[in-house]
Amino acid sequence: MYAVKSVFGALGLGLIGFYLGLGIVAFLRWLFGYSDPWGGEINIIGGWVLGLFMWLMGIGMWGQWGREWFGLKTYTRQLPGWQRYFTFNTDHKVIGIQYLVTFMVVFFLAGALAMLMRLELAQSGNQFLSNAQYNGTMGLHGILMVAVAVAAVIGGIGNYAVPLMIGAQDMAFPRLNALTFWLVPPVAVGLLATPFLGGIEHGWTAYPPLAIYTNSAQVLFSLSIITFGLTSILGALNFIVTIIYMRAPGLTWGRLPIFVWSMFATSWIALLYTQGFAAALFLVLLDRLGFSFFNTAGGGDPLLYQHVFWFYSHPAVYIMVLPGFGLALELIAHFSRKPLFAYRYAVAAFLGILGLSGVVWAHHMFTSGMPNYLHGPFLVATELISIPTGLIFLSALGTIWLGRLWLKPPMLFALAVIFNFACGGVTGIFLADVPTDIHLQDTYFVVAHFHYTIVGGEIFALFAAIYYYFPKMTGRMYSERLAKLHFWWMFIGFNATFFLMHLPGIKGMNRRIADFPSELDPVNLAISLAGFFLGASFLVFIWNMVYSWVRGPVAEANPWQARTLEWQTSSPPPHENFPVPPVVSGGPYDYGVPGSKHATFPVPSAGFAGAPAGGGGQ
Amino acid sequence: MHGKHLISVALLWAGLTAIGELLVFADLFPPVGSHEAEDFDSIFRFLLILGIPVFTFVIAVVTYAALTWRVRGDQPDEDGPPIRGRGWVPRIWLAITGALAVFVMIHPGLTGLAKLQSSYTAYGWGPEEADLEIDVTAFMWQWTFTYPDGTEISVTKGKEVVIPVNKHVRFNVNSVDVVHSLWIPAFRMKIDAIPGRTTYMTVYPTELGAYNDDQAYRVQCAELCGLDHSKMWLPVRVVTESEFEAWLASLKSEGK
Repeated sequence: MYAVKSVFGALGLGLIGFYLGLGIVAFLRWLFGYSDPWGGEINIIGGWVLGLFMWLMGIGMWGQWGREWFGLKTYTRQLPGWQRYFTFNTDHKVIGIQYLVTFMVVFFLAGALAMLMRLELAQSGNQFLSNAQYNGTMGLHGILMVAVAVAAVIGGIGNYAVPLMIGAQDMAFPRLNALTFWLVPPVAVGLLATPFLGGIEHGWTAYPPLAIYTNSAQVLFSLSIITFGLTSILGALNFIVTIIYMRAPGLTWGRLPIFVWSMFATSWIALLYTQGFAAALFLVLLDRLGFSFFNTAGGGDPLLYQHVFWFYSHPAVYIMVLPGFGLALELIAHFSRKPLFAYRYAVAAFLGILGLSGVVWAHHMFTSGMPNYLHGPFLVATELISIPTGLIFLSALGTIWLGRLWLKPPMLFALAVIFNFACGGVTGIFLADVPTDIHLQDTYFVVAHFHYTIVGGEIFALFAAIYYYFPKMTGRMYSERLAKLHFWWMFIGFNATFFLMHLPGIKGMNRRIADFPSELDPVNLAISLAGFFLGASFLVFIWNMVYSWVRGPVAEANPWQARTLEWQTSSPPPHENFPVPPVVSGGPYDYGVPGSKHATFPVPSAGFAGAPAGGGGQ
Repeated sequence: MHGKHLISVALLWAGLTAIGELLVFADLFPPVGSHEAEDFDSIFRFLLILGIPVFTFVIAVVTYAALTWRVRGDQPDEDGPPIRGRGWVPRIWLAITGALAVFVMIHPGLTGLAKLQSSYTAYGWGPEEADLEIDVTAFMWQWTFTYPDGTEISVTKGKEVVIPVNKHVRFNVNSVDVVHSLWIPAFRMKIDAIPGRTTYMTVYPTELGAYNDDQAYRVQCAELCGLDHSKMWLPVRVVTESEFEAWLASLKSEGK
């Protein structure tokens, strides 16, 4: 088995690199006369950098890329079947599935941590977890879910669908794309190793000075997240170039599927702002080594971190939710059998959110003691975002109006996105408003709000996309009955859990606590029971996916009768996506327009037969 | 083609809104212990009254569409009408949502903010006049409250924060280690404790109350501060001025 050997070989190389890095730093420390050459966190940093490099080289970057730097011939290995998914494969469809499966596994792990938290929170007092264990569980749940929210839709669905939807053969930079994915496993390993160093004590936001004083798990946390930021930035760059340069002939900006538009806006946000998070955590790392950016004791400023951090981390919620909106609008158009209502306004909405996303960050800091004159502008900017968001609702509601609603599982999930986000959007107003936010900040009201927007808005869209693209990806069909069961179970469980969660927040339950006032016992028990109900719904999903992937009936090429390009090829598509490159001649959603065509596949004339596919002419 | 549907959706919307607005009467809030709490509750209710119709509008359209226009066979036998939404509908929508956003921004947003930052409730930054000033020092994972006469309340001394009713009480908040946050749910006020700088929070308690009667009378740390964050709280008691003086004197006689 070449794939197994390759992964284990790379893992071994990575480990060797890690310990080599530890050793090199220890040697240098010994050379400069430190009393404990092995004892510093800087050893872990050295180990991480070298381990990461050797892991990437081992997994295939050397063979397919690095050799080129020295004038050697690169080689690629085309493996059959499942083995493709365990190698440095440059096919965007393989990478999309790699992302999707990896992050679904992470999603279920982090979901299990949520179950553990709700078990502890079913009753006041500490029953199952100590404070330290609870904080570690909560921090890990938070950061893993943030990673899922940032990368599952973009990396999974985006990678798989965008090149197909724009009629390209692949992403603009296929090797960079593979590199982007293979940076992810070390991130997962790093984060999952944090409990062995004492657990993440500072939540996913890692506010210093706490993050400077905590145990060494923080170093792994920072290194993982900086690495993860790198994948996010490189991926975003790839999407931007792909969408600008790789569109099929005739696929003008005005004919671009709305999901591609949402990915375009999202990628700009990721490219422009991710450095903020990475820089903030890098400075925290330096502070732990003795610098004083944020450490008051040395003259640093803790509020500086919060500004830098939220400068990324608020735009990050749009990185999470915009592709969700894009998917919801995309699916609603196809399954309503109507053109997307107010298409231009929806595009303007995505670009408007892209523009506003950078000027709202300090609404996370209304109680931080920042200067009073900052409250007003950030309140105004934050509430302005409701205007472009409203346009997305206009587009969705206008599209289903008088449509032919085909309530297949993807459509049910897409409609649920609209439903859930309506709730998350309305509760957002309470948090954008300074006088109400001062009480609600850092309470379960906030927890309820961001789960409504991110889970309700994005993760529901992710499941919509999985049910939509499953036949395309695997060539097989799942059980529709089980899918609908999963939908209703998850929808009811989700709303029960998170709607209730607003109440203890208003009543006085702060977030990130293992214990709470006993007055709030009844509502917390109800939330926990609803949470377990929600958690159980995913068992149906897992069974349906695993069974159908292996044993499901063979799917048609276009089971949804959709017009966009990804459905005009076989399921699963061939390596080069389309046997003949498409030429686009109309809009993607012209349902009900007599004689309209989105694309044709002209058979190349004889003179063209020898030309390279795609007409690249390099 | 739209008329019948528009009327049905409007009725559904009205019905859902009527049900939803009942939430305004629900017992949502902790006890009202201060002027600030009154303001919070009224602004929250106001936003709820405005927000519920927005939410129910979306629910009404989605529910009505899913029930009325769903495809009943195996497959859709025809496409829907190609309505593109290029005319006046999006413009009116933009005007209404824009007006609503600007309205909420001004009231209760900026008006509420102005009140919050007016002289007596100086919030967050600048020090202002107050009847009683209490210095608060947060540390992992407890508080010290220092009264003007030097009396200190912390985990080892008294274990209860007592403040007088009907006075402007200002907390000057500091931290010695990491970021904490001073929150008293009964007063709906919160301010972070940042090492290296002093932040301010003024409250005007209007009701007598104590932790034993309602757990919202407590000082709670609201910013994750490590291991025992969830245990970082102290009971609060609001008493009359004479009781307050007596309480301070009794602590003095105990030798602080």
